[in-house]
Amino acid sequence: MMRRQMSYRFEDQDASPYALKMNRRFSRVESGADLKDYFDRGDIASRENRWNFEVAWEVANKVGGIYTVIRSKAYVSTEEMGEQLCMMGPYKENCARTEMEEMEFPRGNPLLDAVNSLRSRGYKIHTGRWLVDGNPQLILFDIGSAAWKLDQFKSEMWEKCHIGIPHLDIETNDAIILGFMIAEFLEEFRNFAVSYSQNNGLSAPRIVAHFHEWQAGVGLIVLRTRQVEIATVFTTHATLLGRYLCAGNTDFYNNLDKFAVDEEAGKRQIYHRYCLERGATHLAHIFTTVSEITGYEAEHLLKRKPDIITPNGLNVKKFSAIHEFQNLHAVAKEKINEFVRGHFYGHMDFDLDKTLYFFIAGRYEFGNKGADIFIESLARLNAMLKHERPDTTVVAFLIFPTKTNNFNVDSLRGHAVIKQLRDTINNVQQAVGKRMFDTCLKGHIPNADDLLEKDDLVKIKRCMFAMQRDSMPPVTTHNVADDWNDPVLSSIRRCHLFNSVHDRVKMVFHPEFLTSTNPLFGIDYEEFVRGCHLGVFPSYYEPWGYTPAECTVMGIPSVTTNLSGFGCFMQEHISDPKSYGIYIVDRRYIGLENSVQQLSSFMMEFSRLNRRQRIIQRNRTERLSDLLDWRTLGIYYRQARVKALQAVYPDYIDETTLYGSRNNLIFSRPHSEPPSPTSSRHTTPAPSVHGSDDEDSVDEETELKELGIK
Amino acid sequence: MSKFAWVTLTTNDTYSLGALVLAHSLKRAGTAHQLAVLVTPTVSEAMRDRLKDVYNIVQEVNVLDSQDAANLALLSRPELGVTFTKLHCWRLVQFEKCVFLDADTLVLQNCDELFEREELSAAPDVSWPDCFNSGVFVYKPSVETFTQITEFAIKNGSFDGGDQGLLNQYFADWATADIKKHLPFVYNVTAYASYCYLPAFKQFRDKIKILHFAGKLKPWLLQFNSETKQVSVSTDYAHAKDLIQLWWNIFCDKVHQSLSDNMAGLAGALSQLQIGQQRSPEQEAYENLMRRQCWESGQIDYSGADSFDNIWKKISQTLEAKPVEKEAEQTGSS
Repeated sequence: MMRRQMSYRFEDQDASPYALKMNRRFSRVESGADLKDYFDRGDIASRENRWNFEVAWEVANKVGGIYTVIRSKAYVSTEEMGEQLCMMGPYKENCARTEMEEMEFPRGNPLLDAVNSLRSRGYKIHTGRWLVDGNPQLILFDIGSAAWKLDQFKSEMWEKCHIGIPHLDIETNDAIILGFMIAEFLEEFRNFAVSYSQNNGLSAPRIVAHFHEWQAGVGLIVLRTRQVEIATVFTTHATLLGRYLCAGNTDFYNNLDKFAVDEEAGKRQIYHRYCLERGATHLAHIFTTVSEITGYEAEHLLKRKPDIITPNGLNVKKFSAIHEFQNLHAVAKEKINEFVRGHFYGHMDFDLDKTLYFFIAGRYEFGNKGADIFIESLARLNAMLKHERPDTTVVAFLIFPTKTNNFNVDSLRGHAVIKQLRDTINNVQQAVGKRMFDTCLKGHIPNADDLLEKDDLVKIKRCMFAMQRDSMPPVTTHNVADDWNDPVLSSIRRCHLFNSVHDRVKMVFHPEFLTSTNPLFGIDYEEFVRGCHLGVFPSYYEPWGYTPAECTVMGIPSVTTNLSGFGCFMQEHISDPKSYGIYIVDRRYIGLENSVQQLSSFMMEFSRLNRRQRIIQRNRTERLSDLLDWRTLGIYYRQARVKALQAVYPDYIDETTLYGSRNNLIFSRPHSEPPSPTSSRHTTPAPSVHGSDDEDSVDEETELKELGIK
Repeated sequence: MSKFAWVTLTTNDTYSLGALVLAHSLKRAGTAHQLAVLVTPTVSEAMRDRLKDVYNIVQEVNVLDSQDAANLALLSRPELGVTFTKLHCWRLVQFEKCVFLDADTLVLQNCDELFEREELSAAPDVSWPDCFNSGVFVYKPSVETFTQITEFAIKNGSFDGGDQGLLNQYFADWATADIKKHLPFVYNVTAYASYCYLPAFKQFRDKIKILHFAGKLKPWLLQFNSETKQVSVSTDYAHAKDLIQLWWNIFCDKVHQSLSDNMAGLAGALSQLQIGQQRSPEQEAYENLMRRQCWESGQIDYSGADSFDNIWKKISQTLEAKPVEKEAEQTGSS
């Protein structure tokens, strides 16, 4: 019983009693340099008179992926820097109204003075707090209120950089206005902070501004060309040109060093944006990318190597019960089972207990997301399964939102038919129960033949007739708008994956986002992921890859590639990713055919696992979630800021440097020490008695043996 | 004096450069007929004086002249205001017949035979050959026609929002009625379109009589080196480089010396230039202005002057302006 209690996770309990034990048992050096060590809500920063600004187009403005990055990071950033941190972005009413609580900065704060000074110039500025975890301070700039100065801004950009902005590109013109407003704000802020520090006997202020993506990069260019003494960090999450080149089906990575970048950008009419991006990259004191692969891309397309890689993290939700995610998997899986019963009605000749759910999801970029090799590999997996394990079935879900003409009648019908059968059976069951009860009440033993009446059988038969179907179960749940040219459907046709009785791989293309109001699944994306067995993301172009990362923190194994930021990260930090349920397909150094073979063999390997092995694997996968937590990964952002500060204020000393050698992080498989990265954490249950039948207690070595990894 | 006239229209000083070059190109081709230009109030006095030097008639047209009944009606449809300006050419009733030329055209050979054609003769538009291009057309001035077209405009609008749509709706039978009203394409060769059929352009280029710089490409918006008198043309228009150069040659020979600094826009900037001499600060100022305009109209010389290396040089200059910042810069961009 004792053991069970120990297995609860208490976030705040990382204090001393365990610390000593932990250090001894840590096989992962990195955890020593956890960002958590700096969680003081800005105490040190305010003593050092250090200020941080984070600027992005997507602060409190949901457009794409950067929003997720900044939003999920907000919590750890405020834990670290408290009131010394301020996020800035454009004021977009529809988003800001629901996400921002407007309030003024307190008096005597240089932030307030700077805001008022800018307001006196006629700019509209909204200040307050962002209503996300951590509630960071927020300053949003109303772009329209400074539009009258656009020409002046553009002239300055021209005079100082010789970069002009086409009239027709409204987005860039907006970015120019925002950039100048932010630069003017920071300039003013610095002036106020300097006089404020002098008046209060503080040391000189040290300001660092972190800019994300090219839109915000304008602000960086202005700051630097106006020679404001502020440390700058610039992060690209993907390069502009890289996105365009990959969308154009070029052999991207093999030609990366050969592209004539100016010309490629010019031809695609993004030259001015590219110049802003590249200008900001070179002007920043510290340049970072989200992954190694994007760093490689930046090195060739923007001509600067990143100084630091700042991987994206997640705000990992901790459950108080350690294996809660396994229970959630079981619950969610039952809901997917329900869907499968309906979708494959009349063809349910396979055993749901021996069925595996694979899925791919994301933006509908057929080649970039690797849907092409996924379908091809499924065809091969189908052949292998037929031959080797004819009792196992794989259902592959492809979740790619695209244009549709609503649901397929057949797939809706399936669910109705199944519901009818279930209701009928329930009625019969009740009737039988009542009859049994009555019979017993009369003192007789119920006779099996009397329980089921002819009428019941007729009802059941009627349902069974309704369940018959001549056609095969559809490969898609919707009527896809351009059915014939749709790349997924064409590949499915080419590979003959038509869900026939003999196919061991069944296809379900769901061309819509998953929501809990969806009449077919009735579950949201997160729940769906939890219910699946394996996420397959063999992307060709994926600067970071939130989808596999999300799988990982939910304890779902996934396939990724060494061309995705996530895959590179895992490869670098875990010595044997496969043993943690991270399968990494090589799409960089081997040919396409070999990649397809590799992917299909990974999927086959996974299909060979038995239930117990899969449970162990999920446990191991889930352990990686600490690695992907912002509490861990936020340290890189911190490092970037420290480096930038040191570039501008050479006398700045950060206490991290005192522990310099600690940040070499590798997840290893040590020999004697308890090897699993988090098994050594205070959150892990104490070692169990061997031979115990409790899956939770299987220790590392046994786990590996059970998984068949020597 | 001839009863026939070439008519054009200019709405600002920059466009007037085109009108001036056009007039000289007509004279160069030895036309026997008169020249008339319609100007809007936005054209400066100084520029009108220069226009008077080469045009027999400089006629001001005012879109919002409330004395005019047609204009009053037009106030209800303000979107047609600009379109309407061109229609004023029908009011030049002192002439028996006219040929309207856009200010962005260039006459390469004598075309006086056009005056033998009837109203409304025009060349087909390359993108939709069943419509005529309204950059060059033969017409007969008449107040009656003018009134009819304006009434038609107020009633029906224009399908493309411009004068071409309106005139094609009004002269709706042009495509089918009389082949004599179809001018050969050589009377209105659109410079950008010939790119689509390059072999034909090469085969028939000597036959071109009037070149039309329709679309975004205007000769005066291209980069011009005043030292060498050479214009630089992006690869998309390389086939027409010598013709664009011809525009600039006429400009240098005939137009440039008449410009003065009290003109607006590009004309004022160009007046400051010393052509054929060493680069001066004025030259650089002009080139600077030109380059910025090119960027803003999306014509970026990314493989030449605007390459990122040059941009970076400029940024580095800016950064070095104050030596204090040098140190930070070195750490930043290394």
